[in-house]
Amino acid sequence: MNAVELQDVTKTFGSTVAVDSLSLAVPGGCVYGFIGPNGSGKTTTLRMIMNIYYPDRGSIRVFGEELHGAWTDRIGYLPEERGLYKKMKLGELLRFYGRLKNAANVNAEVDRWLERFDLADWADKKVEALSKGMSQKAQFIAAVVARPQMVILDEPFSGLDPVNVEVLKDAVLDLQTNGTTVIFSTHDMNTAEKMCDYIFMIFKGRKVLDGTLSSIQDQYGDDTIRVRIDGDHSVLRDIPGVSRVNDYGQLQELRTSNGTDTQEILAAVMARARVRHFEVARPSLHDIFVRIAGPEAREVQHA
Amino acid sequence: MRKVFVITAREYIAAVRTKAFIVTIVLMPVLMTGGVLAHALLEGQVDTTDRTIAVVDRSGLLAGALVTAAEKRNEEAVYEPKTGKKIQPAYHIKIVPPNNKDPQAQSLELSDLVRRNQIHAFLDIGPDAVFPPQAEAEAEAKEAKEGRVPPNVRIAYHAEGAALDPVRGWLRTAVNDAIRELRLKKADLNPSTVAYVTQTAPVEPMGLVSIDEATGQVRQAQTSTELDVIIMPIIIVMLMFLMITIGATPLINSVIEEKMQRIAEVLLGSVTPFQLMMGKLIGSVGVALTVVSVYVIGGLIAVQRMGLADRVPYELLPWMGAYLVAAILMFGSMFVAIGAACNDLKEAQSLMLPVWIVVCLPLFVWMNVAREPLSSFSTGISLVPFFTPMLMLIRQSMPETIPAWQPWAGLAGVVIMTVILVWLAGRIFRIGILMQGKPPKLGELARWAIRG
Repeated sequence: MNAVELQDVTKTFGSTVAVDSLSLAVPGGCVYGFIGPNGSGKTTTLRMIMNIYYPDRGSIRVFGEELHGAWTDRIGYLPEERGLYKKMKLGELLRFYGRLKNAANVNAEVDRWLERFDLADWADKKVEALSKGMSQKAQFIAAVVARPQMVILDEPFSGLDPVNVEVLKDAVLDLQTNGTTVIFSTHDMNTAEKMCDYIFMIFKGRKVLDGTLSSIQDQYGDDTIRVRIDGDHSVLRDIPGVSRVNDYGQLQELRTSNGTDTQEILAAVMARARVRHFEVARPSLHDIFVRIAGPEAREVQHA
Repeated sequence: MRKVFVITAREYIAAVRTKAFIVTIVLMPVLMTGGVLAHALLEGQVDTTDRTIAVVDRSGLLAGALVTAAEKRNEEAVYEPKTGKKIQPAYHIKIVPPNNKDPQAQSLELSDLVRRNQIHAFLDIGPDAVFPPQAEAEAEAKEAKEGRVPPNVRIAYHAEGAALDPVRGWLRTAVNDAIRELRLKKADLNPSTVAYVTQTAPVEPMGLVSIDEATGQVRQAQTSTELDVIIMPIIIVMLMFLMITIGATPLINSVIEEKMQRIAEVLLGSVTPFQLMMGKLIGSVGVALTVVSVYVIGGLIAVQRMGLADRVPYELLPWMGAYLVAAILMFGSMFVAIGAACNDLKEAQSLMLPVWIVVCLPLFVWMNVAREPLSSFSTGISLVPFFTPMLMLIRQSMPETIPAWQPWAGLAGVVIMTVILVWLAGRIFRIGILMQGKPPKLGELARWAIRG
């Protein structure tokens, strides 16, 4: 059964169309990644799933039923811009959030998560004393303390150091193992590639990508060549059959035009410089994202 | 409903546990009664430096009497009889012979002495101060009664800050005593007879006589002082105003905190905006009821100790509770809506002004309502829902009996108004709480409230 189903959902604010006839199905028990540039409608969509905004048109079904207030008790929510009551003690605050979701065994659950995130010593300290990383972990606990069937995490990893990213990532994957559906939005394409069963991209309120990573990559084919060469990178310009060069400093990504033989490109590169690495690959999610939402896409649109 | 109480409990604990709350609960009554206390404390603080007053007596009849009166006063009033502590300045009268050739020069000379602090003041007594022509004196008395200075000043007291100078008050009595004695003597009347004839007979203010239900006996009326009549309205006005301040205004801060710290969205993932708002409102009602219980119980104990327990209008307490709850919900919902619409306190202040005017208005009219609780003005204004909690209660507390339907009608009006405002505020709250950026104008708020 699908955990979330959106049918032709539209939401406007004044004259701005934030979400435009969006249809979407999130299978139960998966990790579902929301990507898209800032202001493209991610947060609005997540808020509609949370029943914080009501759609102007279309229907939203969660766990097979039309949304009603009480369903939100089965969904944990970590908004993108989040805050905690600064003057409350950490343990108290988390219990408060748990009770708001009508959760059972709140105290035990809070203790378990604090233990897991190494925050047990902080339970009786005020929230304002926590470091940024700690308070972000606290916010994550607030979202999952009621043992929800689904969690919606808006940018859960932003601003965390790598160690804390690991801790949080493991926690998310554990939730999935226990049958929780996870929807999260991110700007980090690497994380999305590695963690998500399904990826969904929204751009200017419309769905532009939806599916597994490999099905998305299949749409683009093996049109990417990753090259490392010795010496000046500028020799890679103007190779016939290469439509675009993306310079990452140490690594160059070439995009081939349709029907070009990669062997010819290799020969052309070898003729110009000493090749240390040459790989024919499918485009990365990052690359696909930029192709859809970057300046290049705008050029195409204007043309 | 459970969620509302989870919010309420948090809100209540967050408010009650702060140091600020405990300070407020102690400090507010101190501040409110502070003026009275300070006055009482400072009353004993008198400048006891002796004063020398120059007297230029052009009538030649009064100076001697003033010297005698000053000496008598210095003997009786300057030192505390038991401790011998000096509590008042002594007054010394210095007789200055009048310079009738150039009175202006003499006045200037004496004024300079005052400026140099060599004397405290000087009194200039005109030649016919004791026996002015009767018609003139009557005309002057009439002028003075109407608050004008008569063209012909017969006795002038010159000093720095003459109007508020206590010396002038004493001199007025002393001069008038002396003048009266001289006039009586001239009219050949006995001073003690005149005193008896002109004595004022007091009219005592008393309450109504009633029957004691326990014994069936007629209960004697109690004397009522002006203080007795006015003290209940003062307590009601102060307590109500205090409760609205303590209970409802923190809502604006807490809503702005939730909005600006982005706590609201986390909460809205679990509760509806209306549940969130109601939870907060009920929490602040709880806070206000806590404070008012502390004050009322404290007040009752104090009154019991003073032996005045039978003067407490116990039948008003339930009314007070009901009005208080309604007032907090009514004003609180407006504050919540404003808080949700704004990004910080500064923005909120301009929107709060109209609400504050409504909250404060009873403070300006309560005296009139207390004085004439049955007038059509008092009846009308106390039936306006915003003013009912304070003004109807004042009318109920007065000895006059107001029609029994009016408090009920007032309460009904308040409840209806509260329901409407809470509903409208809920709509504004829902839109405002997640909105960032420019704060809305009053007109936009109205549009949110109407369209939802």
